[in-house]
Amino acid sequence: MPDLGRAALVVSFMLALYALVAGTAAAITRQRRMADSARYALIACFGSTAVASGVLVRALVTHDFSYAYVQAHTSRDLKTIYSLTAFWGGEEGSLLLWLLVLTGYAALAVTLNRKLLKDVVVWVVPVIGGIATFFSFMLVAVASPFTTVPRSVDGAGLVPSLQNPYMVAHPPMLYLGYVGLSIPFAFAAGAMLSGHTDERWIIATRRWTLAAWTFLGFGQILGAHWAYVEVGWGGYYAWDPVENAALMPWLAATAFLHSVMIQERKGMLRIWNMVLVALAFELSVFGTFLTRSGVIESIHSFAKSSIGGWFLGFVVASTLFSMALILWRLPLLKARTKLESPLSREATFLYNNLLLVALTLTIFWGEIFPILTQLFTGQQQTMGRPYFDFFLRIFGLPLLLLMGIGPLIAWRRSSARALMKTLRWPIAVALVTGAALIIAGAGSSAPGLIAYTFCAFVLTTIVIEFVRGTRATGSLFQLVARNRRRYGGYIVHASIVLLAIGIVGSSAYGTTKELPLARGQTMTVPGYKLTYASLKDTPSVTETGRSVETRGYLKVSGRFNGTMSTAYVNSSALGISHEVGIHTDWLRGEDLYVILDQVVGNKVYFKVLVKPLVNLIWIAGYVFLFGSLVTLWPDAREQRRLVTRLSLARA
Amino acid sequence: MIALVLGALIAVAAVVIVALPFIRDNGEPELIDFGSESEEILELIEERDRALAALKELEFDHRTGKVDDEDYRETVGPLRRQAAEALQALDARTGKRSTGEGSAAEDLGEQEHVQGDDHDGDSGRDDVGEPAVDERAHQVAARREPDQRNERERDPEREHDL
Amino acid sequence: MARSRRSPARLVIALAIAALLAVFLVYTALSGTTPALQPSNLAGHNGTVSLTGKVIGPVKGDAHLQGGLRFKLHNINGVSPTVPIIYHGSVPDLFEVGRDVNVTGQLQGASFVATALTTKCPSKYTSKA
Repeated sequence: MPDLGRAALVVSFMLALYALVAGTAAAITRQRRMADSARYALIACFGSTAVASGVLVRALVTHDFSYAYVQAHTSRDLKTIYSLTAFWGGEEGSLLLWLLVLTGYAALAVTLNRKLLKDVVVWVVPVIGGIATFFSFMLVAVASPFTTVPRSVDGAGLVPSLQNPYMVAHPPMLYLGYVGLSIPFAFAAGAMLSGHTDERWIIATRRWTLAAWTFLGFGQILGAHWAYVEVGWGGYYAWDPVENAALMPWLAATAFLHSVMIQERKGMLRIWNMVLVALAFELSVFGTFLTRSGVIESIHSFAKSSIGGWFLGFVVASTLFSMALILWRLPLLKARTKLESPLSREATFLYNNLLLVALTLTIFWGEIFPILTQLFTGQQQTMGRPYFDFFLRIFGLPLLLLMGIGPLIAWRRSSARALMKTLRWPIAVALVTGAALIIAGAGSSAPGLIAYTFCAFVLTTIVIEFVRGTRATGSLFQLVARNRRRYGGYIVHASIVLLAIGIVGSSAYGTTKELPLARGQTMTVPGYKLTYASLKDTPSVTETGRSVETRGYLKVSGRFNGTMSTAYVNSSALGISHEVGIHTDWLRGEDLYVILDQVVGNKVYFKVLVKPLVNLIWIAGYVFLFGSLVTLWPDAREQRRLVTRLSLARA
Repeated sequence: MIALVLGALIAVAAVVIVALPFIRDNGEPELIDFGSESEEILELIEERDRALAALKELEFDHRTGKVDDEDYRETVGPLRRQAAEALQALDARTGKRSTGEGSAAEDLGEQEHVQGDDHDGDSGRDDVGEPAVDERAHQVAARREPDQRNERERDPEREHDL
Repeated sequence: MARSRRSPARLVIALAIAALLAVFLVYTALSGTTPALQPSNLAGHNGTVSLTGKVIGPVKGDAHLQGGLRFKLHNINGVSPTVPIIYHGSVPDLFEVGRDVNVTGQLQGASFVATALTTKCPSKYTSKA
């Protein structure tokens, strides 16, 4: 059966190559039959990749240990779901997943748009063919999931901390996001290559971009939540290179999503949009490269591998290609209208672009700094957390403010007077909130206070929009149903505000305290008193060795009255791991987080964290998802819009 | 053994799929026709849609109170003029391409028919069943148009796709 | 009111880039970066550095007691001198002999006094039984 898998991948490679070469020839010579043939090749490529994927799935689920990949990533006692998700557990499998999703998306995108965007699709096919050629080449020649080895009795297992529902959902969501960004990129390239840079490519790919962006965003929140409950250091994001690898394309895609609204409304920022979509795509491939090549020190460990060099080459080549394309088509991309005033909605979108790109580039710079310093000085230097936190505030706070100003400021030009008039309620609420927070003690962190007041400002603007709209149309449901993009967008903005409040609350206003406690001793943190009650040792023997779980029990009083426990497991196979105890106060959104650090003599070192409002982060994830779904919801009118445009042009 | 057979089958299937367009004939022309004229018309359509959408948005914002009366009055005039100009330009362009008198009305009729389905007209053409003749009259008497348009814009049932 | 015909967009962008660069320069001038080292090239660096290496036993002492947790590090790849580490703080998950870790701290005399310790996630897969 591995032979079938290998053969299927070779067929995929040939089909992708054909789509690239024949597709290009067909686009240049305008040969319909060849163009159709290239398009079919791309669809057939999905078919053969699906066959290869099926072979791998079967091998994983039946524990066929003659496959090196199955041996390395599953074991007999692994639950079926984790054997399945082992598909993307390793490098080869994740490359196969990339190719599967890419060709699947591509097949759908080119089929749906083959009539209305005939002139553009004829170029989209070879562009995607090119990307697919790279990935299928890697799978055939460099990193094959179908390598066979002498059959073993059992395979390596999956570490227990990765065996949970979050880790089932997190990687595929991220992949659906990463790969999804290839579609708008390919259409943008197609528009430029065909010379038809009108807005059809944007209308056609709007939902693809939104969906990819949503998957990428939600996937990151899932990862953050897993880190919080499972890894147990009390945090959820560490500015680790692999985490940043997902954040950067998401930020670029956010800028792109907003910027295209301006192109649709005003015909401006067209060059920006081409640059942004290419940036989002390149960052998503670069992200995959960073994660998988081990080229940068990260606590997420993936085996260092040979694919690094190939990926870097692909990223460089495709970046040069995009740049050349944009430079060539610059005359076609000139704006239809000019920016009239720095105080206008168009301008706020421009500022939005600038801030998001600045943040993205800052993170990128922090990412590659170690590599660059190693190259140029022979000495690797790193940028630590403070660098990233600092710039997140510098760029994030103004972005927060813009979320509130943007929807309310007038098009074309506004005056300071008019703006103040429109914003008087949000400003008033923000100032009152700020004052109330200072009284409540939030003045301890200046950035925190500023962030909170900005959040109050933005939330007020969103509420006002909903109230006004509902009053005018009579029904909230009708309002949202008929203006999905606008109000769905507001819901997403609200989720970002919730996210900001959660992040600020849990970091700027959180408490961390570590103390050794003897039995009966108490430690106090804001809102809670914790008393060390008892300790229990539970030894166990598993297939991989012996382990002892040491569990400490705490009596808690204050905002919560009850018992909490936390454990530390000493396993002969895995070393030490901690199982944290978390108590969530849903009314306050606050978490009491306890870690049993160490037992020393008759004292136990407990680390206690109070994380105010942290649960808003997870709630924000769901609000984000909901808002995105509202914006994504199919709209028959939009399809008709494309149709009417084209038939008029043909008439 | 089975693997090899299946593999061969996949390869054969791939070749067949790729060869299909060369083997069968679906009656479409050999060369893909894009038409450079279409690009110009598309641009005009975009400008028209943009102008009409801007008008719609202004009406909605005014209705919900985001834009006050003074600002509304200031902005609505130029926007309406822009919309009228865009409509004129587009109709002039599509009208030019007709071969005879009859086809001018045909073109408009087609536009009408296509947009009639689009009964919530995000292009702003919400006039289901509006006779073609009226449209011509609209273009000529641009000044009358804003008032009639205004009425339709005010209809709270109008959807608003932003 | 006479309005400049040139679009303010260019001015905005130029100012934005200038502002960005200014912020950058100020930041790097004030805080600077941390060298990321390995045991083989640690010698001579006296400020706060980040050190990455593989844990060699024996692991003695207690991270919460005055003496600190004591162990040694050597390069992850290849032969290198070993560096004695003294660490105070919480011991992270999966810390054990043979694990790749990262410590942040300063060289004090012959030992490296670490204030932060993180373990690299080991291979996601346990070794075969």
